[in-house]
Amino acid sequence: MEKNAGKIIEKFRHITENPHEYAKALKDKGHLLAGYMCTHVPEEILYAAGFVPIRILSAHESQAMTRSYIHETYCSFSHDCAYQGLQKNYGYLDMITHASSCIHMAEAFNVWVRFAGYEEKSYLITYPHIIHTKHAGDIMVKSFIQFKEFVEKFEGKSITDEEIEKAIKVYNKTRRLLKKLWESLKADKPPISGADVATVSLAAQVMEKQEFNKMLEELIQELKAEPHRVFSGVRLMVTGGACDDLRIFDLLEDLNYDTNLIFVDSCTAARYFWFEVPEDSDDKLKAIAMGHISRIPCPSKDTVPGSGEKKRFRVLQGYIEEFKPDGVVMLYQRFCSPQSMDIMALKPILKNLGIPWTELELDTTVPRIQFGTQLEALIETINRVEP
Amino acid sequence: MAYTLKVWSDFKNYQTKCYRDYLSRASGGLRCMGSTWSVLAPLKGLGHDVHLIGGEPHAASTAGTLPEEGRKNIMAAESAGLGFHSCSYLKLFVGEVVRDKMSITDGTVHDGYPRPDLIWTTHLCNLHSKWYQEVSRILGGVPLFPIDVIGGGAAEQDPKIVDYVSDQMEEGIGWLERVTGRQFNDELFIRAARNEIKVLVLWGNVCALNMHSPAPLDERRFIALFPPAMVDRTTDEAAKLYEDLLAEVQHMVDTGQSVIPNQDYRIAYFGLAHTYGHPEIGRTLKNAGAEIVASVYTFGTAGNFKGFDKDRKWSWEGIDPSWVGDLDLSTRRKALTELAKIVLAWPTWQGVRSYWALEEMSKAMAAQFKADGFLLAPTRSCETDFRNGYIALQRIFKDRLPTIEYDTETVDVRKMDIPGSKRKTELFVDLMKAHKNKKGGV
Amino acid sequence: MKKVKIQAGLDAGHINTKAVIMNGREVMGYGNAPTGFDIVGAAQSALNNAMENTGVSLEDLEGVVATGIFKDIIDSPSLKVTGTVPEFKSGAKGALFLNRDSRTIIDIGGNVHKAVSYDQNGDLLDVVQNDKCADGLGIYYTTMAKALGLNEQGLTKLALKSTKKLSVAIQCGLSAETDAIDLMCQGEEIADVAAAVLRYIAERVADMSTYLSLTKEVVVAGGIARSQVIIKHISELLNQDISVIEPPEYVGAIGAVISEEEE
Repeated sequence: MEKNAGKIIEKFRHITENPHEYAKALKDKGHLLAGYMCTHVPEEILYAAGFVPIRILSAHESQAMTRSYIHETYCSFSHDCAYQGLQKNYGYLDMITHASSCIHMAEAFNVWVRFAGYEEKSYLITYPHIIHTKHAGDIMVKSFIQFKEFVEKFEGKSITDEEIEKAIKVYNKTRRLLKKLWESLKADKPPISGADVATVSLAAQVMEKQEFNKMLEELIQELKAEPHRVFSGVRLMVTGGACDDLRIFDLLEDLNYDTNLIFVDSCTAARYFWFEVPEDSDDKLKAIAMGHISRIPCPSKDTVPGSGEKKRFRVLQGYIEEFKPDGVVMLYQRFCSPQSMDIMALKPILKNLGIPWTELELDTTVPRIQFGTQLEALIETINRVEP
Repeated sequence: MAYTLKVWSDFKNYQTKCYRDYLSRASGGLRCMGSTWSVLAPLKGLGHDVHLIGGEPHAASTAGTLPEEGRKNIMAAESAGLGFHSCSYLKLFVGEVVRDKMSITDGTVHDGYPRPDLIWTTHLCNLHSKWYQEVSRILGGVPLFPIDVIGGGAAEQDPKIVDYVSDQMEEGIGWLERVTGRQFNDELFIRAARNEIKVLVLWGNVCALNMHSPAPLDERRFIALFPPAMVDRTTDEAAKLYEDLLAEVQHMVDTGQSVIPNQDYRIAYFGLAHTYGHPEIGRTLKNAGAEIVASVYTFGTAGNFKGFDKDRKWSWEGIDPSWVGDLDLSTRRKALTELAKIVLAWPTWQGVRSYWALEEMSKAMAAQFKADGFLLAPTRSCETDFRNGYIALQRIFKDRLPTIEYDTETVDVRKMDIPGSKRKTELFVDLMKAHKNKKGGV
Repeated sequence: MKKVKIQAGLDAGHINTKAVIMNGREVMGYGNAPTGFDIVGAAQSALNNAMENTGVSLEDLEGVVATGIFKDIIDSPSLKVTGTVPEFKSGAKGALFLNRDSRTIIDIGGNVHKAVSYDQNGDLLDVVQNDKCADGLGIYYTTMAKALGLNEQGLTKLALKSTKKLSVAIQCGLSAETDAIDLMCQGEEIADVAAAVLRYIAERVADMSTYLSLTKEVVVAGGIARSQVIIKHISELLNQDISVIEPPEYVGAIGAVISEEEE
């Protein structure tokens, strides 16, 4: 008999596999829906305005029809997201927004705005391209003020500080709950699979947050009472770019060896939620900006003025100490520029720490056999070096 | 008969001298590295002995001078871990560091990569700031200060963005003092700032003269004439070079002369100055009397124009150079603010992050330069407005003007399909002919 | 009155060289040969083939017009080529000759595919050619057929039996091929893999074609046009009726002769 935790996980998975069905149900209940690309959008402002923010994700569909809109050597994630717009798969969205991040996602957003009919109901948020500058916070606040004004005008009603504070607290709860769930993977025998945790994290980005929080609280309770799936295997950490294809994470734990996926540093996992916005501040938008600055940085924004270092690596080393991976899988979209540059500098760090790694380039398809072979080679490498 | 430019050798010599001075650390001064899409003038506040080197146009210029050396640099960068699909500009530059060699535009190759004292750079694209991070790391850690110029359409009209850039530069000056142990000299800085703005305005005026028929210059000349404005546009010498150039090109316009007497078809060109493959493509066009008279890279990399009006309509007309003399640069902050505005107004910074800005600039280019065709040549792997948005532009322009698109590349033979690009160029020429015949032209 | 000439058209493509012999504007017969590495030799073989099929001798021929990717190479004294015609022109002229209502031709070749729109005289209005990564669709089709142990017709016949939609990577032929192999290793039905392979080809062609305004009758040429699976998929993607011009392989060769005849 399926455990209760299993049923909840299954519900989360169903939502990630059928996001439009979920969103349309929200729409039928009278919710306003705002689509966003990339995680730099201050969702709390949208939430405070009464929107349910929904991340626009890919459908893992191999198609070439966007090659006449975006250059063919832009990542497949950006192509797929652009395609969703052209196909009107997200036609139920009331508006879309994006805070400038990488060039490829900017193009995907541009396709929606210019060619998919979103010109009048879209907003591009000016956002720093280097998150660590002393003045990044200031410009973010000014930019968020303008965004808030746009949303108020769009909706025809103003957003109060109280509403924003409420949104901050709801979102912080999501962040804390997700963190708690991921921290359960620190155990030698985690009570849940990493793939399932990744599923829950992805679901967070397409669900109404209060509903999500309730489901996740339930799941955590159930896992406390009875672990869902317990085994101890080679501990694998993933670091990389956007990966909303759960088949990869399933594969990582479905090799010919016992493996545990124990941490995912990507914007579809830890980078999305591993921070908090200061609560009860006088300046709510400044608080959101400070929260964003404190996040694990996106590689496209990560240059520390003065030293030129990548702050993300310091943070990653902290996670390595806490989660103790045996190996690292670098997972990034083919043609992603910032990720491919970052890993050059990450490899010597991992070498110094004595942690083997492998690299997988993502596309819309998951070549299970090829990826499986590569991953199993990593496991064998790990097993060989283990005393 | 084709006109021969008198200033030609002065331009080549200036660029080479800058690189030689950097190599030799002439007068024992500071070596500063970084993207030349940054604001350069603050570096000159550190003294008379500051020598600059930046990826642009060093990487492309030396690849053009010594293509085989360039290819070795690319291989070295890839062996060091840079992905195949990273841009060649980046690989050319980082490759030199990996190989511990530097080649410069006089055709010489020097052993021992001259380590910079500091890196002052910006984040034009997702590869840009990373590239200098890599250089810093490979060299064992060179102090690096990146300025987020942020960009975007009409960003120079947005006070929050102007302030953001100015604030960072102000902070950067404090950092420069700490890192070098030197006191910042505002007089030197302000002089450099005025030169920097002047050179950008002068170059814009030179480019704008190509609106005339016949266009006095072609893309080959533009590629050769813009480098001093990129290498070091802060000097009195650079300002004089461009004043002389403007005067000469104005004379050409006044007397109806051109470096390319046969201009049956005028082409607006969006793309990087692709060293590799360019001669073959150039020949195909030349044989048909088709010439590139306007180009977003050579114009927009180092030039300023009237730009966006309040209605977000772009003009490639030049700014009156006398405006530069009248600019109030009496304080450090005022100078930084004007510099921030001028850089944000650069076509490159406009187009890289704004699809509508790129579209407006391309429409204006086709109209103002009376283009018979629109040649889009995105540089494979580029993340700036030398690729970003081009596919959409092809879609938009196809119905209005003969348009063709093919990928280009600086020097990496693996990334440019020469036969395919030549075929597409031939198609482009046929399209322009067909279009003109329909209109009842030549 | 204009004298009617017997002329040969040669379309030297990446995979096959096609020849047609025409008496004025009347098609007498065809011939072809695999191009291989001896391009001039292949052209000679194709021409010989056509002459055999029509009973026309070399002495009877009053002109040999070359087109195709290797037209400049086969413009050699041994073949007595009297003129060359660019591919977009021969494609447009040939398509119009074979279908007077057509105004756009999508030509899927061994290495290059293009779409040309033309007016009622077959004169060029607009043209678009594939992006670099999409090179080699015809070669990919042939290679995949061989990899699956089939001939070219067999690949399409197999794809018609597909019952499950699978995907291969769409970036380029190499990615698509490695994904196809992976799917086979995963134990997927070979018919479904075949369908995915053909869908990749159709996607790249259809995407390129959207640059042109496809409002008038659209025809498809090239050997691959014989695959009704590919044609169906292109039509669905473009939301447009398209038809295969007959014979699809010889449109260029015919168009070369027509172009010369009209000059």
